[in-house]
Amino acid sequence: MNNKGINRDELFREILGAYLRSDTSSKEFEERDHLDGDTIAAFVEGNLSEREARPVNSHLVDCSFCRHRSAELIRLDLEFAEETAKAPEAKPAPTKVSDVLSGILGKILGAGEGAVFAHQEDEDNKEEDVKDDEEE
Amino acid sequence: MPSDDPQLNNLVRECSDTIAEVYEACVASQPNFGVSSDSFTESVTDSISKFLCSGQEDLPSPDEVREFVRSIRSDDLFLAIACAEGNERAWWEFDHQHRGYLERISRHLASTDLSAQEVIDLVYVELYGTRVVDGVRMSKFATYSGKGSIRGWLRTVIWHALVDLHRASHDEVSLDGMTENVGEGYTHSTFKNKDLGGEDQMIDHLAHEKYRKATLESIRSSFSSLDDHEKLLLLYYHSEGLKLREIARLAESPGSPLRDWFQRRSAAREKDPSARIHESTIMRWLDKTYKLILERFCTDLSKEHGLKEEEIDICIELATRDLADPDIYRNLASNAG
Repeated sequence: MNNKGINRDELFREILGAYLRSDTSSKEFEERDHLDGDTIAAFVEGNLSEREARPVNSHLVDCSFCRHRSAELIRLDLEFAEETAKAPEAKPAPTKVSDVLSGILGKILGAGEGAVFAHQEDEDNKEEDVKDDEEE
Repeated sequence: MPSDDPQLNNLVRECSDTIAEVYEACVASQPNFGVSSDSFTESVTDSISKFLCSGQEDLPSPDEVREFVRSIRSDDLFLAIACAEGNERAWWEFDHQHRGYLERISRHLASTDLSAQEVIDLVYVELYGTRVVDGVRMSKFATYSGKGSIRGWLRTVIWHALVDLHRASHDEVSLDGMTENVGEGYTHSTFKNKDLGGEDQMIDHLAHEKYRKATLESIRSSFSSLDDHEKLLLLYYHSEGLKLREIARLAESPGSPLRDWFQRRSAAREKDPSARIHESTIMRWLDKTYKLILERFCTDLSKEHGLKEEEIDICIELATRDLADPDIYRNLASNAG
């Protein structure tokens, strides 16, 4: 084996990379021990102080599952920041949220769930009744 | 309802003036949201408990708690509490301010087989909450702490909704499998199985095991000697495939501990804390870190395993040959365990 002229620096980078990709340091975590979305979002935005970030950093080093989630969100954060910078946001006109939710719940859970917002629909019906009366 | 932790309750009581100050500012800005002082304090207390107490060795000082309360995105938190409580005005405001954003993220993320509208529908249902526990509707908004921006939080909610939808439509695929197909996911390299071949190769393999094990132990030991910031950045770069500009983005926020950490490592940056952290900053840091780990790696091979310089070169050369099969490290690690 010829060991002369070996470029340790460059080769070692490759080796270290392979070691890290093989993820040998990863521990197993229970579902409840994973970081929640709120914590990951605050971390990705760089909003945690040194004290707050310490346990998060430490968890992300050991938990490939949360690290992977956070990496995806870092990508999304940057991609979206670039996209937002290109295209200014057009605000849609807000609709009555109860209408939106009622429609969505009806679609997802079946027609019966529309009753969740029945109180709102009653008010709408009353308004329509008044209009009808006025027209008459 | 106060927390179950009496020490935390005392701390919150001590800082009640600051919490009240922040609450009054929110009420002045949104008088129709109907959020009571009690629910605001309860929500802030949960955030204090989560970020300042959980996983920490000591309790925070009252000054740390005050600083934390002032750092909270109080307007966003106030909106989230009001929406969680079902306030119609707050929902209108949320819809007005954020629906367009939600739609754009969903369109950006959703692949061809997942409709963006489906994602938005699911997110709205989660945000409102359909499950009722002890008479209380479980709104997703209740999980927002105000520590990050509500839009950053919404991005996470949408991303998870997308994962759930994808899993539902693909019979429970893994998160890794899902991210290869959805959004900005990247494909992990495919590991090929090592073929040990005939008898000669097997003998050669056994003869080199000693070097391979020493290499693994020394890489592990030199990597372990780094602090968590360094480990995480290297893992993001190598294991998660984050680009330098994506890592630099993490350090961009003025209050980010990562930014402070980079600044502590550069005298020039300490003089000018407002200087941006560019990709080149990360590259220079990576170069220094590689050198540092290599130094520790060689020292470890020499001191702990008694290897000479030529043998260290053999270790590096063997490890380089093994690169075609990164599983070698995983296999060695499991054998060592």
